[in-house]
Amino acid sequence: MISLSHVNKKYVLDDDVIFSALKDINVTIEQGEFTSIIGPSGSGKSTLMHIIGLLDQPTSGQIRINNKDVSKLNDDQLSSLRNEFVGFVFQQFNLINKLSVMENILIPTIYTRSKLSHDPLEKARYLIKRFGLEGKENSFPNRISGGQQQRVAIARALIMNPKLILADEPTGNLDTKTGTEILKLLHELHEHEKITVIIVTHDPNIAAQTKRKIEIRDGEIQ
Amino acid sequence: MNHFIFVINSAFQDFSRNKGRTFLTSLGILIGVLSVVILIAFGLGLKKYINDQFQSLGSNLIRVVPGQILKGGSFSSTGSLSTIRFDAKDVARLQRVRSAKNVIPVISKSITVSIGKGTEGANLYASTADVFIALNLKAKYGELFTKNDVEKRSKIVVIGPKIAAKLFTTEDQALGRNIKVEGQSFRVMGVLDAKGGGGFGGPDLDSFIYMPHTTAQVFNPDKKFYAIIVQSKSDIAIADAKLELKNALLKRYKEDDFSVIDQAELLGAIESIFGMLNTVLVAIAAVSLVVGGIGIMNIMYVTVTERIKEIGIRRALGARKEDILMQFLVESVALSLLGGLMGLGLAYIIVYFIHNFFPAYIDVNSVILALGVSSVIGIIFGVFPAKKAADLSPIDAIRYE
Repeated sequence: MISLSHVNKKYVLDDDVIFSALKDINVTIEQGEFTSIIGPSGSGKSTLMHIIGLLDQPTSGQIRINNKDVSKLNDDQLSSLRNEFVGFVFQQFNLINKLSVMENILIPTIYTRSKLSHDPLEKARYLIKRFGLEGKENSFPNRISGGQQQRVAIARALIMNPKLILADEPTGNLDTKTGTEILKLLHELHEHEKITVIIVTHDPNIAAQTKRKIEIRDGEIQ
Repeated sequence: MNHFIFVINSAFQDFSRNKGRTFLTSLGILIGVLSVVILIAFGLGLKKYINDQFQSLGSNLIRVVPGQILKGGSFSSTGSLSTIRFDAKDVARLQRVRSAKNVIPVISKSITVSIGKGTEGANLYASTADVFIALNLKAKYGELFTKNDVEKRSKIVVIGPKIAAKLFTTEDQALGRNIKVEGQSFRVMGVLDAKGGGGFGGPDLDSFIYMPHTTAQVFNPDKKFYAIIVQSKSDIAIADAKLELKNALLKRYKEDDFSVIDQAELLGAIESIFGMLNTVLVAIAAVSLVVGGIGIMNIMYVTVTERIKEIGIRRALGARKEDILMQFLVESVALSLLGGLMGLGLAYIIVYFIHNFFPAYIDVNSVILALGVSSVIGIIFGVFPAKKAADLSPIDAIRYE
């Protein structure tokens, strides 16, 4: 489903030093996989995730999604792909605090240009019920717990029926118990809905729970 | 559409969270719109006022005066340099013009009028009995002078209500009393009904002293007239009447020596002067709108900076550049329009009170202008901050703390 070939990402630092965040990455992730990208901080795992999630472009190399080269897409096309193909779950939850839980979940639906095959409101209500967020629809993110916030973020990631969930340290800001619940939720999505899940983490215990581990260190896959 | 409602909705949610900031930012536009709308209302009021003044004089009046008064729709800058004065021959000549109904020679002169010890300055308006018909004047007390009085050179006057009130405790007391004009005694035979007005180029008919022109020759020994008012026959076009009158006088005078002016022309000239003045004032007031716009731009830059993270989140979730641009543009237009609406509301209240003593009013055009201009200001001054927000790279924005 996603394949990266010879992907490099270089940054020019302040003192004209070139820093290579990713070095010749070649990786393919098939549909329905449950994969973790593991590495210590500064290893380039976040950069890799941003490139897979189409938030960032590689300096060189090719990314193919469903056998289509995405490096030739313009900004609008990339936006649409992020909108419909990927669902992001962040460590910081990244909810918009001035919007209610319901409004946060619905954000992706206001940016779509294609006709949705499902009713977004109905889907949002279903996700709220399924994630145990009933009664919190009109609450604001800073009024609910971290675990609830992450569930809202996952609901938001799912609202467009994406093929891929990209979770960047999804448990990083949660206590162990809540973290385990969130992971369980991601497992369920993978198993029942056949969604491809990629978890980025530095925690070997979390990586151990995934079928496939991609280990990255100093910008290179080990 | 759904998206648009959502964007507007979120803009207003933002305003309600930042009430103080929102109000202060739109205050600039409020003041700008307020001053522009009020000045336009004054301009409109002035126009209406002048119009009403002249309307009350009757519309088929043509004035024949010495010199070139109007040039190209405005008052001539060289003024009336002509030295000609009309006399009885001219009056007779104009009376023979087919389209003239009444030809009314006028002697107008500043005089002093006294009763007992009190002395007042006033305007003498000496003419024929037809002057009352032409200027649409009616007696409130007593009677108007007649043709007979003109022929007999009766030592009588008809006075305006304002001068009557100045000279006597009540207007009706003036009747039958003698007043002294330039030291000579005249009997007051009538007091006129109030016409209102005066000022702004319209004659203040209420403060004149009216006298047969034959009687007034004691003050005007050369028997010349200051002006001749011609009332044209109602079935003849004003322009045709003017041409006939002009041709009649050209037999004796040169073209530059006299002017034949109708009410509309005079009105147009006065309006053009006040219109110009009003335009200048409105233009000065409009500067404050620009200042208000800069205030909006400033606060929009602040808003964009405060919300970089939010912009990043929205971009990650699939918002296009144009979506972000639209979001901030809607916000700045809403901010500006809010100021415009408040300014308009305040202007309505102020004009409502002004209306008690001056016919200022707000027309549909002012409303459209105020709302249109504030929307345009919102777009012009909002587009740069909105563009800045839209052009942020998604990855830099979402990582921003």
